[in-house]
Amino acid sequence: MTKNAFLFKWFWYAMALLLVRAVEALVFDPFPLFGVRPMLLPLAAVAAAVLEGPVAGAGFGLGVGLLCSSAWVGEGPLLILSMTVIGALAGAAAQYGVKQGYIGCLLCSAGALAAIDLGRILPRLLNRVTTLVPMLKLAGTEILVSLLFVLPIYLLFRTVYSRVGGTRLM
Amino acid sequence: MRDFFRNNGAWILLIAVLLTAILSIFSALFGGLTDPLSNLWGVLTSPIRGISNSFVSWSEGVYNYSFRYEQLEKEKAALEKRVAELEVQTAEGNLAIQENQRLKDLLGLKERRPEFDFEAASVTSRTSSNWEALLTISKGSIHDIAPGDCVINEHGALIGIVTEVGINWSTVQTIVDVNTNLGGLVPRTDSTAIVEGDFSLMLEGRLKLTYLPEDTRLIAGDLVLTSGMNGTYPPGLIIGSIQELKMEPSGMTQYAILAPKADLDEVKQVFVIRDFQMVE
Repeated sequence: MTKNAFLFKWFWYAMALLLVRAVEALVFDPFPLFGVRPMLLPLAAVAAAVLEGPVAGAGFGLGVGLLCSSAWVGEGPLLILSMTVIGALAGAAAQYGVKQGYIGCLLCSAGALAAIDLGRILPRLLNRVTTLVPMLKLAGTEILVSLLFVLPIYLLFRTVYSRVGGTRLM
Repeated sequence: MRDFFRNNGAWILLIAVLLTAILSIFSALFGGLTDPLSNLWGVLTSPIRGISNSFVSWSEGVYNYSFRYEQLEKEKAALEKRVAELEVQTAEGNLAIQENQRLKDLLGLKERRPEFDFEAASVTSRTSSNWEALLTISKGSIHDIAPGDCVINEHGALIGIVTEVGINWSTVQTIVDVNTNLGGLVPRTDSTAIVEGDFSLMLEGRLKLTYLPEDTRLIAGDLVLTSGMNGTYPPGLIIGSIQELKMEPSGMTQYAILAPKADLDEVKQVFVIRDFQMVE
């Protein structure tokens, strides 16, 4: 793969990611759905990882993590590492375990969202910020609402993949 | 997984670990100052946030027009009544009412609270997460804003506290956020208590008044102000009003649920109290 083709490919993945972020910021931040704002950026990381494999998934996850930790007000830098690992694991799962398609993407997304919310619940539980039940309630609603968007995001990244994807990151 | 490490996967993981560690250390060392990455992102996206904020306001307008016609009719009737009242006041010679309402309120606030040093700012974005209640405002360290500064609206109602400061932007933790913890005063009974965020109430846009003195007899509608104890936050800022009284699960003590006075979902213009003098 030439350097230009490599840049061209990841340019379009980055554009798809920015589109997802724009929808998140312009539509769901001001107008929450069922009282919660869906987490769309992790779904983008998983979709790219499922399609491109663990190495590219980790690289793209790193980029998504940088975007999340910068753009999501109040989130810490731990999201960079979390998204990288999520990308690598989702890519590996699609390669060796679940099927590389929508169902695989849905399962990996559910796992990724659950892991992210677990990372939010545990410190709050340890710091005795609140009890487990209201946090589980919020996490459950947040994950279910977010999962509604796996299909459009998967289709978006599938479109990019079918045109420019399918090769290794490096 | 061997392929993963053979194909530069280990390098990507290493970069992620290093970036996370560096930014975490920076955040830990410099407290309220934001990490360089978030700061750069905040500076770069400031104009975009401004544009997107305008777009959202416009789309809200379109939405309101399209789907809330009946509500708009009622609001129109109420506004017409208000205009009539204003016209009467104008006839009485009160020319100031014709001025911009927000600026007039600010002027009034400045006259009432000369001990405050204000900085006006606009809300450029709200938190994307369901786990916090934060706002981003358009002023930062170059405008002498510092972590711990109180943020109010034009009527003097408390919006929240600045928690993180970038060059030209800051993050405000609103009063309904679960981390809120400040001294409150109920002027009717002259009793002090603690105003704190609660996770479940945060999702409903409300907060708690706890550690109430045993002999306090509060009623719904009682106003709660900042007590200003310890001198950390200025006294007399309106936090909200009491909606209902409840018993703690232990059954021994009471707490009150507060509705914030400021409309935290709709606030667009805020004022940061950069400095204040304690008035005895």
